[in-house]
Amino acid sequence: MSRSSRSCYGARWASPGSGSEVSDTDLRPISLDALAGAAAPRLNRRTALIAGAGAALVLGAGLLMPVVVRGASAFGLIFDAVMFAFLTMSIAFLVRHLGIVSLGHTAFFGGSAYTVAIATTVGGMGMIPAAALGLLVGVVLAVLMGAIVVRASGMTFMMLTLALGQAVYQVVVLQIARPWTGASDGTSLSYIAGDSFFGVPPDQVVNPVGFWPVVWIVFVLSIVALWFVGRMKFGRVLQGIRENEERMRFSGYDTVRPRFLAFVVSGTVASIGGVLFALNASYVSPELLSFFRSGDALIATLLGGTGLLVGPVVGALIYMILLSTLNSTGNLQLYLGAALVIVLAFLPTGVTGAIVTGVKRLWRRIRRKGPM
Amino acid sequence: MNFVQVLNGIALGSLFMILSSGLAMIYGLRGVGNFAHGALYMAGAYIAYSVSTYISFWAALIAAPLALAVIGVVIELVFFRPLQKRDHIQVALITFGLAMVIERTIVLIWGADPLRVAPPDAFGGTISVLGASFPTYRLVLIGAALLIALGLVIWLRWTRVGLEIRAASHDGTTAVILGVNVDRVSLIVVCVGAALAGLAGALAGPYTSVYPSMGSAILISVLIVVVIGGIGSIAGAMIAGMGLGIVQTLGTVYVPDVAALVPYVAIVAVLLWRPMGLAGKRV
Repeated sequence: MSRSSRSCYGARWASPGSGSEVSDTDLRPISLDALAGAAAPRLNRRTALIAGAGAALVLGAGLLMPVVVRGASAFGLIFDAVMFAFLTMSIAFLVRHLGIVSLGHTAFFGGSAYTVAIATTVGGMGMIPAAALGLLVGVVLAVLMGAIVVRASGMTFMMLTLALGQAVYQVVVLQIARPWTGASDGTSLSYIAGDSFFGVPPDQVVNPVGFWPVVWIVFVLSIVALWFVGRMKFGRVLQGIRENEERMRFSGYDTVRPRFLAFVVSGTVASIGGVLFALNASYVSPELLSFFRSGDALIATLLGGTGLLVGPVVGALIYMILLSTLNSTGNLQLYLGAALVIVLAFLPTGVTGAIVTGVKRLWRRIRRKGPM
Repeated sequence: MNFVQVLNGIALGSLFMILSSGLAMIYGLRGVGNFAHGALYMAGAYIAYSVSTYISFWAALIAAPLALAVIGVVIELVFFRPLQKRDHIQVALITFGLAMVIERTIVLIWGADPLRVAPPDAFGGTISVLGASFPTYRLVLIGAALLIALGLVIWLRWTRVGLEIRAASHDGTTAVILGVNVDRVSLIVVCVGAALAGLAGALAGPYTSVYPSMGSAILISVLIVVVIGGIGSIAGAMIAGMGLGIVQTLGTVYVPDVAALVPYVAIVAVLLWRPMGLAGKRV
């Protein structure tokens, strides 16, 4: 027990080259300023302004996506990747800040998606109330699961999230739930004519191009929110917990509540994704909650890399490309499993992490050989 | 009637017991929750299916554990040993990837349709237990599983290797300082754990039939068992495995509509009662 419990928090593999000075055995009181220099620099007005400008730029550029990307299949791919990225981003948030890996986030994504579907069919709700209810249920699920898993160490956390995530799957496929969830068949949403989701009518909500502005704005806002949370004092407390939870506790920090809050924040982002997914797909199936779905989400996350905010988004895009090119054979699961093994064994910082390391090395070499 | 259901529960609990003790042993030695354990069980079941179709069920009971022992050796030598300095979470995720590869490979070889395995002729019928008829094969399954569990307990309790396994599970660092060769012990444990998973799969064939999602389904149950028992505790895993098997089966009788949720209710209840699991930190 003791051997493995500590290593769970020293999960430095998440962030490429985060030169943290906090060691595992050092139990002196921790100073958040010491951590600030490492992976999460302090938030000051200048970085906030730069980030805000960057986000606005990305937001504006992204809105032009349907105009730039012409082919329906290419755009559909990007759209699916962004949807999936809500899930990978929320998983990566926990890996990056706490070094813990959740295999249960499909419960929030799928749970909120199912709630939206049921709210529109059984509840006869419009899209906005259904979305609000879906988000609420997703957050409640995150609170419930978070309360159970928050004290678990890394390995137990993985096992527990995987098991509890499957609980939602089991609820959905229950025969007595068939009137609501359609059991193993899944269920379709029903839209009210003349309804609108922030100005988007139902026939455009189900159309990727028509729904894109809403999705993209929410997506960018979610990224900014996660970035901001990571840069706040809260983010540095999380990083301290990741590096050495014992030392944080000795230094007078509550380590349970920040872990819990981080879990709920992450679950909320996954739920937002689930809500948007359901509205657009207009059909939800137990597949969303399955064992392999959580595996896929994890693989996409780790493939992209969790050290950078953009890593899981890249991962989601790579995943969707693989999905569209390989799935015709039905062997996607085989390739993805192999990819997970290879990435973890040889490329633990993911694709983006490897690129960052490569660019840094190149830059150093150029500087050394340069005319200076 | 109720007694028969309890026997059914014991049959399921026996499978849980064998699988979860293997998982707990590997966790104790390598600090890694083996997510491929369900896939190993499934591989054992499919191998046993082929062997019992072409040769005999008894040959399958030998062939499946042997084949799985070889897979276990490969997993230990290729993944666990070279990566033991890595973060345990990474290695556990690698086993998750392995599970996906193994499960898909099996479907490619044997197809996605469920397969029936006939029990050997001698155990094909039913037997009268306290006035109720009960499939003979399930009694055989219970007997075999209890024998395996007994053997495991004796091995762990009264042999040198067993002592070393318990020592390494309790405190790996101290065990190494005291001269336990963790690499050697780990090779034995992963080999035995995988072989037991294969044997469980072979025994399960005539009981549950053989189908593609059997691995991931039982993995979830086994993870729940291991967490309920107290992670790393072999005795805890055995007791919790038997307990969950019985509770889950009785659940299908008394609350058939929501029986699938019984394990989840059980794990939440146990963790609220004893956050470290039934056995706490004991091995």
